This record gives sequence, C-alpha cells and structure tokens, in this order.
Amino acid sequence: MIDSVSDVVYVKDLTKRFGRFVAVDSISFSVKKGEIYGFLGPNGAGKSTTIRMLCGIITPSAGYGRVAGYDIFTEAEKIKHAIGYMSQKFSLYEDMTPFENIRFYLGVYDVSSQEWKDRIEWVLEMTHLKDMRNRLTRELPPGWRQRLALGCALIHRPKILFLDEPTSGVDPISRRHFWDFIKHLASEGVTIFVTTHYMDEADNCERIVMINDGKIVTTGPPSVIVRDLFPERPEADLNDAFIKLMARSST
Amino acid sequence: MNPRKIQAIARKEFYHLIRDFRSLYLAFFIPLLLILLFGYALSLDVENVKTVVVDHDKSPLSRDFIRKLDASAYFRITKHLPNTEAITKYLDHGWATMALIIPPGWTKDIKADRESPLQILFDGSDPNFAGLSRGYITAFIEDFNRNQLIQFLNRKGMERINPPIEGRIRVWFNEDLESRNFIVPGIIAIIIMIVGAMLTSLVIAREYENGTMETIRSLPIRAGEFLIGKAIPYFFIGLTDVLIAIFMGQVLFGVVMKSSFWLMVLASSIYLGVALSLGLFISVVTKSQLVANQMAILFTYLPSLLLSNFVFPVVNMPIILQKVTYVVPATYFIDILNGLYLRNLGMTHLWPSYLVLNIIFLVLVIMNFVVLKREGL
Repeated sequence: MIDSVSDVVYVKDLTKRFGRFVAVDSISFSVKKGEIYGFLGPNGAGKSTTIRMLCGIITPSAGYGRVAGYDIFTEAEKIKHAIGYMSQKFSLYEDMTPFENIRFYLGVYDVSSQEWKDRIEWVLEMTHLKDMRNRLTRELPPGWRQRLALGCALIHRPKILFLDEPTSGVDPISRRHFWDFIKHLASEGVTIFVTTHYMDEADNCERIVMINDGKIVTTGPPSVIVRDLFPERPEADLNDAFIKLMARSST
Repeated sequence: MNPRKIQAIARKEFYHLIRDFRSLYLAFFIPLLLILLFGYALSLDVENVKTVVVDHDKSPLSRDFIRKLDASAYFRITKHLPNTEAITKYLDHGWATMALIIPPGWTKDIKADRESPLQILFDGSDPNFAGLSRGYITAFIEDFNRNQLIQFLNRKGMERINPPIEGRIRVWFNEDLESRNFIVPGIIAIIIMIVGAMLTSLVIAREYENGTMETIRSLPIRAGEFLIGKAIPYFFIGLTDVLIAIFMGQVLFGVVMKSSFWLMVLASSIYLGVALSLGLFISVVTKSQLVANQMAILFTYLPSLLLSNFVFPVVNMPIILQKVTYVVPATYFIDILNGLYLRNLGMTHLWPSYLVLNIIFLVLVIMNFVVLKREGL
C-alpha cells in the first residue's frame, strides 16, 4: 500500500455497500498531480458513489484511499478543506445573490478575511458575473449558474477539483468555455477528477476509467483505449468503445 | 467549533428567512395574532351572564331581587319575558344562558314562612360556563337570604347577629381571578414553540428538497457548527417575539411580570433552545417541509397547548396523560412563567423547572448530533 508522492488520489480495493447492494466493488486507481482524470460509466454504475467517497461525503465500506495526502476513512474534514467539489445540480442557494453565495463559501472554507475582497473579485471576474452580483441566483441562466458553482468550489484554492457530471443541462457553447477553463486550471497544477457520460468530453481527459456495475472495465488514455479495441477501424471513437465495453461487461 | 463557519451559516439562514414570505409571516405576524387572539378572545372568566327573567310575582321584593341581580358584575338582565314558554325560545337560540322564573305569590310565601322556590334554568352546552354561573347564582341567593334575615331580625328589634362562621376569603397571586393573568404569559410558551419549532422544522428539510444538503455535506462543516448556525437567526427572532409579547401583555392587557426580567429572559432562552432543537431534529428526520410542518404541529404546538397546564388543567386528565405531561417541555416553562408572572418567585423556588428544561435541551441536542452524524456531517 505505498502511494507515490505524485499521486494526489490513490485508491486500492475501494468498496461501498448499501445493505446487500454493492455500489462500488473493489476498485483501484491513482491520479497524478495536474492531471485531468475522467470517470465514465452509465447511470448507476457507481460514479457518484465513488466521487462522494473520495470527497469525504460518505465513508467507504472497505479498502484504502488517500486524497490530497489524507485518509478517506479518518480525515474527511481535512479532505473537504483541501478539495473543491461541484455536483451535477450545482446546488447553489437560489434565493441568494452570487455575491452572497460566494461569501458563504468563503466563510465555511474558513478563508481568512483579508483575502475575501480579492477572492470575491477573482470569482466574479472569472464567472463574468460582475454585473449580476446583486441579482438572485435563481434568475441566472444555467450556464451562468454552473460558472458560479465552479467559482464557489474554487474559492479556497483547492489542490484537487472533483466534478460530478458538471455540464449536464448546459448548452454546448458554455460547455466549450467550461472545458477551456478546466484545462487552464490543470495547467496551473490543479488536479481535475471528473465524471461524465458525454464521450466528447471524455476526450478532454488525459486518462479515463470506465466503470460498470461498480467494477472497473478499462483504464488508460482515451485514444489508447479506442485503438486497442478497434485496431482495424481508425474512424472509431470513444463512443464506440464505450458501447462495446459496456455490452461486454454486462453479460 | 469555528466562529467564521458558524457566522457564514447563520448569515445564509438569515437571507433565506428574510426572502421567504411565509417564514417572515410565521415569525412575526402569527405571534402578534396569537397575543391579540388569546388575550382578547380566550377568556375563561364568567361575567355578564345573559339572563332573562319571568316575574309572575311583581312585588317590591321580586323587583329588588332582580335589580340586585342585574347590578352584580356576573349577571346582566337582557329581557323581561311575559311567560315561561318564551324562555324556551331564548335558551334555544342562545340569546340567553340563564333564565330566572319567580313564581306567583313568591313574596307571600316568604312572609308566611312557606317554601318559596325560585326556578333557575341554565344552558349547559358549555359546562364550564354553566357550572361557574351556577356557583355565582347560588352565592348570590345565599347572600340575598342572609340580608333578608338580618333585615327581618332588625325589624323585630333583635340585636344584629352574625352567623357563627364567616369565611374571609382572599385570593393570592391573582386577586381578581382574571384568567387573562395566566393566559397572557402562557401565550409566550405557544409563541416560542411556533417560532422555534415550526419555523426551524422547515430549514433542514428545505436543504434536502433543494439538493443543497449535498453541498453542505461536501463542505467542511461540523454538526455543531451547522446546528448553531442554523439556530442563531431563529433564536433572535424568538427572543424578539418574547419581548414583544411581554410588552404587549403589559400595555394591552395590563399583565405585569412581577419577578426578575432576566430570569424571564433566561427561561425563555432555554425553552427557545428546546424548541429550536426539536424543530431541527424533526427537520433532519423527515427531510420534507410538508411532513416536517405536520410533525411540528403534532409534536410541539399541540402538546404545548393541550398538555402543559396552560388552558386545560392537568389534574383533571387521566393518569396516562398526566404522565405524558412530564415530558412536555411547555409544562415546565408554564410553571416558570406562572412563578415569574403571578407569584413573584425567584430561582430558590423555580430551579427544578429550570433544571428539567436544561436536561430536555441537552437530550435534544445529543439526539440532533446523532442524526446529523448519521447523515454524514
């Protein structure tokens, strides 16, 4: 159980059971610093359960795992301070303004008050919400809300950013902008762990894991996975690979 | 416990509160309404009982009797009726709750030392009211009899004699036996439950319904910080409502608290803590605003009203219900309120109730911690 220094996420035989149902079945993988790591699988495959274990939201049933150097069994609170998490519903408080939402995150992440002004400016700048800072969040279009949720998740400068289906319900242009920004973050050394079921998005990832029924089906860079599965078909893409792998693992 | 995190949660909760019309209405309008409603409408006192009279005797004595009856604070003659049949109509319609029938030859019978009955009819559909009225009319007749006797003896030249036993009755703590004097303080207990428990029963359920509970779980927030942050805005609203109730009780109803103001604030704070913990607990367990609201009414508001010795005396209840009242926090708070408002008592007498409230509060806080831990906080 030795994890290398550059692995910011390291998981070995991680398992989560809900009663008799095994949601995540003994999975192992590791993520390097600054990497964009994709987690793919159909609905109910165990993506969200895995990401929630890694973020310290739920405790695993068995296995071993470290995130940002902290044990996921015993140091959930430290993990929560070290990471950013944004889920598919970008659950902001809709009866509050963007400014008030940001301030809430600054408070609960215990950011020292001297830095508040700069951080608020930074997020409003990054999200292009300067003119909207005093509108209620529920009045903003989904793409804007997603940017705000991302800004809030980054307000404490986390080393790792966990994104659980971050672009569902967002228009294609906003998605493009979103991924440009994510790549920019990764280039600055922030590790990105993202679940998605959009295959075109998975192409943005350096490495991916495909899971089905709680088990890892395959892992590696997207292009390598496609090439290995379809050596004769250069036009094949990740979608084809996904469908083939899911069909194979389900039977 | 990190004060910055607590402040962030409290501030967020405050925004929810001021931007939600229903919450504001529940926080300020309902308490005001309750004070006015309970203070003005809920009176258990019997006075000015509407009385109709049929006087067949029409003698100076019968007229004197009727005049004295009308002059007493408890009865008011609303109508003189010609015959007994008319009474039925008045009682049926509720135009009168008491009817007095003076038979023909009443005075003559008295003078001749014969039986001289007087018929009195009551509308017993409100037993409490009828019972009290009956007590008053019995006392009134006895008084009238005694006066008659004394006059008779005086006329005969006898020395004025006094009856052998004379009860010198003085009522302590509430000299005029005004129900308002214990109803007005009791409203404070109800208001605290409504603001404390019913409002907060919505606040965590709302996080579940909006999906923001997942956000809370993903943030470095501990159960204690979460609970305190959530409770702070409602604590201050509750305390404000208490102050408004004390003030209105004094100004509108002349109900003045006799004991220490700070003991009152202390008791209200502890009881508010109980109400807030109950509300938050219901909220976490139900996870739905609708269910939480129903539960809050069932488990906090109704027991406070019915099983707390507030309006309905516990001694009259079946033994099992009497035992239940021991776990109703309002029982102890109403006891303290009575002590502070009416009896001018201090900590020397009231400490057991303070202690029990504190214990209930602690138990509820622990229960909250347990359920929140299970929810992953």
